[in-house]
Amino acid sequence: MRILLVEDEEKVARFIRVGLKAEGFAIDSARDGRTGLQLALVNPYDLLIVDLMLPELSGTDLIRELRKKNSHVPVVVLTARDAIADKIANFESGADDYLTKPFSFAELLVRIKALLRRGTVNRSNVLRIADLEIDRLTHQVRRNGVAIKLTSKEYSLLEYLVLSAGRVLSRTMIIEHVWDQSFEGLTNIVDVYVRQLRAKIDEPFGKKLIRTIRSVGYTISDFAE
Amino acid sequence: MNTRSIRFNLISRFAALLLLVTVTFAGFTYWSVRRYVVDVVGGSMLHRAEQIGRTLLRGGPADESYIANEIETRYAPELNDRFIRITRADGSVLYCSRNPADRSFTPANVPYPKAKTLKSELREESPSDEAKMLIAAVPYSSDQGGGYLVEAGTSLAGANRVMEALLWTLAAGLFSLLVLTVIGGWMLMNRALSPVHNITVAAQDITLRDLRRRLPVPQTGDEIANLCVVLNKMIARLQESFDNVSRFTADASHELRTPLTIIRGELEEMIQRSDLNEQIRSALGSLLEEVERLVAIVERLFALSRLDAGEAQIERVKFSLSELAETTLEQMSLLAEEKSISLQFKTKDPVQVEGDRTRLKQIIVNLLDNAIKYTPDGGAVELSVWSRNGTAFLEVKDTGPGIPESALPHVFERFYRADEVHSRDVEGAGLGLAIVRSIASAHGGDVSVSSEVDSGCRITVRLPRAK
Repeated sequence: MRILLVEDEEKVARFIRVGLKAEGFAIDSARDGRTGLQLALVNPYDLLIVDLMLPELSGTDLIRELRKKNSHVPVVVLTARDAIADKIANFESGADDYLTKPFSFAELLVRIKALLRRGTVNRSNVLRIADLEIDRLTHQVRRNGVAIKLTSKEYSLLEYLVLSAGRVLSRTMIIEHVWDQSFEGLTNIVDVYVRQLRAKIDEPFGKKLIRTIRSVGYTISDFAE
Repeated sequence: MNTRSIRFNLISRFAALLLLVTVTFAGFTYWSVRRYVVDVVGGSMLHRAEQIGRTLLRGGPADESYIANEIETRYAPELNDRFIRITRADGSVLYCSRNPADRSFTPANVPYPKAKTLKSELREESPSDEAKMLIAAVPYSSDQGGGYLVEAGTSLAGANRVMEALLWTLAAGLFSLLVLTVIGGWMLMNRALSPVHNITVAAQDITLRDLRRRLPVPQTGDEIANLCVVLNKMIARLQESFDNVSRFTADASHELRTPLTIIRGELEEMIQRSDLNEQIRSALGSLLEEVERLVAIVERLFALSRLDAGEAQIERVKFSLSELAETTLEQMSLLAEEKSISLQFKTKDPVQVEGDRTRLKQIIVNLLDNAIKYTPDGGAVELSVWSRNGTAFLEVKDTGPGIPESALPHVFERFYRADEVHSRDVEGAGLGLAIVRSIASAHGGDVSVSSEVDSGCRITVRLPRAK
């Protein structure tokens, strides 16, 4: 999977690059809009990450040019502005998703994965961690073959954990993804829901999948300890 | 009636002053007219008494019947309602007129002067319950010796009737003058104060949110117009400083975004590394938590400054507030369950509002979160939605410790906390209620709080109801 990152802020570009490389993506980067557009037109990228405020050519114009040239590559926009009008303008110019700075990298990763999955048809809809299975189409969850009934919030929480399997997620990151923005700041609600989720998917079974990382947050993985 | 209004004050004072002046004037008029009447009547009585003395008593001891006859012929006192009496020095009566035709007095009852009369004088007598009499007494000594006292008098009833009529006229004039003054003053004050009233109404409409508006300046060039111009300049300065503050907040939070993105991203990536020892990971985790807290504060400040600037394009969608409240309450029910708090929802009819669903949901979340946070375990939190007269009400009531009265006026201020003990709460940062107020007023509503220490607190949001 090859991704083009167009971001003029070097330090922002750096941690995105490092993080995506660790996830196994190949990353090219450009520091201004014009270079970004040229690279995007020449190379067959699977996805573009574009900052809006770029020198030479703005992110919005870059996407518009790209779409004019009949490129359908998925684009995630990074923006320091969050006005509704901006969002609408971006979607109209052809962006597929947007993230407001300061975003969490885990969230960027989940969005990227979602867009890449949309592009490829025959990807399996089932996520697996150890003996836990999640069907993303039917929202059915099984562990060790036993069907587990989850509320929709519990499901969203589990799905987010599993999509970011192996990554440590802070309570704020979880709030940002699973709840809407009105819940921003209510981090204690995450603890309550994680406890509920554990009671359903971990406690009746031998091996614990969800782990608490002290003073950070939660993670899910098939710990081989 | 507002007894402290300029209108009331001016009119009542003016009326009092006018009353004082006119009553004095009327009193003076009454007094001088009465004096004049008494002078005229008295003068004529004196003249008559002197005349009688001069003409009838000159020729020595007079014959009673002659004098009676002369007086009847010349003065006809009974027909003219006059009183005439002549007394000798030894006190015997030489002549006394009979009852007058109008029976205004009885001559026989008219008392004698108390002291010996040495010179002409006027006195008033009340021989009966009837009207007073004015009597002139003139001592007369005839050439042949022998002194007489000639008295000529008349009832004052006629004069009193005139005076009474005058009194009534004065009183009626005074009363109508007073009424006219109050009515006229009222109308004049209305005319003079109506621009002030207009200014008050216009100024009430100018809130922090629309400082761009100005007071209408009347085209009169008078003091009121000057006042409007000065007030408008003041509003302009207010707007400028207010704009500066919101622009600063917007710019500052915007400038903070990029560094925060970098710190957040780097920390997040570092925490993922598996070769970290526990101590470092937990230090990084705590740093990340603080950065996320900063991010939340910046987001909230930014949202507030946008709401203030009125540029937050509030979406106007019609939806059911009761339904939104109920679903939000359900989403937060686990938080209440954690603390064994009973979370109740009360509504009668579905209440429709028009506005930004996400932001209004934020109001509900913030209020419920606050209530749950401050209510001790086992307490109760109640959310109710109702509507009355075109206004939608949303109220959250809790059984927490309440808010001290001194803190009540400040709870909607930014970064204000009623309770210093909780100041390290990551969540609120003291902006929750400020956001509630900004969102409510951006929707054309408002929010109020009432609380008594130890009996919980009640926060009520009012929003215009959708038509």
